[in-house]
Amino acid sequence: MTKDTLLLRQVSPSWVQQGHVTSQLFSPTPKDQKKLSVYDGDQISAENAWKHYNGALGFDSVGVMAVSVGECETHYLPAVADPAPFPEHVVIDFSAFAGNRIKSKAKKLQMAAISRGWLYQSVDTV
Amino acid sequence: MKQIPFLKPRLVGARFEENAIPLEFLKDLAVLEEMVIEVAKWKFLHEHPTRQRVPRGFTEGIALKLTGVEEGSAIPAIDLFAESDSLFPPDNVIYFKKARDSIIDAIEAATQNQSITDHIPEKTFGYFDRIGRSLRDEEAIEFSVQDRPSPTRLTKETRRKLVLASTKIKEFAEETSVIGAIPEADQDNMTFEIMINGQKVEAPMAIQHAEVILDAFNKYKMDFRLQLQGVGIFSRQGKLQKFESIEHISLLDPLDVAARLDELRCLRDGWFEGKGIAPEEKELDWLLSVFKQFYPGDLPLPFLYPTVEGGIQAEWSLDPYEISLEIDLGEHKGDWHRLDTLNDKDEDRVLNLENAQDWQWLVEQIKQIAEGAA
Repeated sequence: MTKDTLLLRQVSPSWVQQGHVTSQLFSPTPKDQKKLSVYDGDQISAENAWKHYNGALGFDSVGVMAVSVGECETHYLPAVADPAPFPEHVVIDFSAFAGNRIKSKAKKLQMAAISRGWLYQSVDTV
Repeated sequence: MKQIPFLKPRLVGARFEENAIPLEFLKDLAVLEEMVIEVAKWKFLHEHPTRQRVPRGFTEGIALKLTGVEEGSAIPAIDLFAESDSLFPPDNVIYFKKARDSIIDAIEAATQNQSITDHIPEKTFGYFDRIGRSLRDEEAIEFSVQDRPSPTRLTKETRRKLVLASTKIKEFAEETSVIGAIPEADQDNMTFEIMINGQKVEAPMAIQHAEVILDAFNKYKMDFRLQLQGVGIFSRQGKLQKFESIEHISLLDPLDVAARLDELRCLRDGWFEGKGIAPEEKELDWLLSVFKQFYPGDLPLPFLYPTVEGGIQAEWSLDPYEISLEIDLGEHKGDWHRLDTLNDKDEDRVLNLENAQDWQWLVEQIKQIAEGAA
C-alpha cells in the first residue's frame, strides 16, 4: 500500500439518505475493537469488492466509497493489512483514540470520501 | 311534519374540541339515516313474522337531520323528521327508535365481544364500513343509554370488529395516511401507484392532484416522496390493498423525519453485517413525537441513520460544522458532537431528550449555526 492506495468501504443501504452517507461509515462499531474493515483498493476494484461483500460475505451494500491511506495518516490512523478474513482485507486502526476523537476523525474521513464521490454504486441505486 | 329528538352522540377527540365538528366528519354520520331505516324495516318484519314486506309508505317522509351542535366536546343534535297528518307521531316512528337502540346495542355487543346478530342482522354490518370511517386513534362517538352506567363507544377498533363480524365482508375501508414515492402513473386510466415500504398500492388520480402526482412520478428516481391522505381499502388482516379515494396530497421535504423513520421501521435485527439491532417501533414513535414537539419546522432537518446498537444518529452538515446527535432510544438521551472542520475543534454534550430545556439548547445551536452566527 502507498499513500495513494484507496481503502474501499462498503455502504449499508440504511447508511445513505438522499445520497448522503453517515459519518458512522468511517467509525468502528463497539464490536470492532476500534478497527475499521476496508478493502485494499490496489488489490481489488471497487466493483469486485462490492461483489465479494454482497456475495461471498453475504452482507448488504449499495455501493463503495473510499479514503486514501494518506488521508488516514493525516489523522494519525494507520492502515494495516489484515489478510486473515480474506486477502484484500485491511483495517484502519483507531485504537490510539477514544470517544469524541474517534467521532471527529470519522467525520473528517467521511468528508474526504464524500469529496471523492462514489467509486461504485449498485445498479438498483443508480 | 313532526320533529322528534332522536340522537345526541358525543364526539370525543381533539378534532371535536370547542364544540365544533369538522365538515369532513359529517359524511361519517350521513349514512346513519340509511342504516336506521334498514334496521327499522328489519325490526318491523321481525315483530311481524307473517308479513313479507313492510307497510306501504313505512319509510316515506322519514329523515334524520342535524339540527344543532351542543356543548360537550361537540354533540350533534340529530332529530327525526316524520310526516304526519295528526297531532301524534306516526306509528312507524317507534320502529326507528327501536332501530336506533338496536344499533347502539350492537356497538356495545362488539365492544364486549358478544353476539352482534342478537341486535341487528348481519346484512347491515356493512353500514359500519361508512359510519365513523374517519375516526382516528383516541377518538370515539359516544352514545349515552339510560340505565347503562357508561356510554357505548364507537371507536376505530370497535368499528373494525363490527365490519369484520360479517363473514361476507372481505375488506373494509378506513381513512388512512401514508408516505411513499410514485413509481407508476397511468394518465389514460387516471390511476397511479404509490410505493410504501416496498409495497405498491394503487390509487385513483383526481384531476386536482394530477399535476403533483405526475411531478412526483418524474422525480421517482430522486426519491421524491408524498404524503397521501384518503380512504384506504384494507384486507381482513389489516393490509392496505388500494385507495378508494385521495383527499389530500402533501409534498414532503426530502429529509422529512416521519418519512425517514417509517423507512427505518422496516429494519430487522441483523441489518448491518448480521449484527445490527433494529430500532424498536415504539421508540421510533417516541422520537417522532419529541421531534415534532420540540424541533421547529423552519430549521434545517437532520439526516437520520440507524446505529448498530439499535439507536438513531441525527446528522447536520452545516458548513463548516459537522454535527451528530447519537440518540439512545432506550435511555432517551443524546450524545451531541460538533466538529468545526476549519480548525478541528470539537464540542460534546449529553442531552436528556425528555427535557424541553435540553431540546431548546439543541435548537439554539442549530439555529445559530444555520444563521451563520455561531
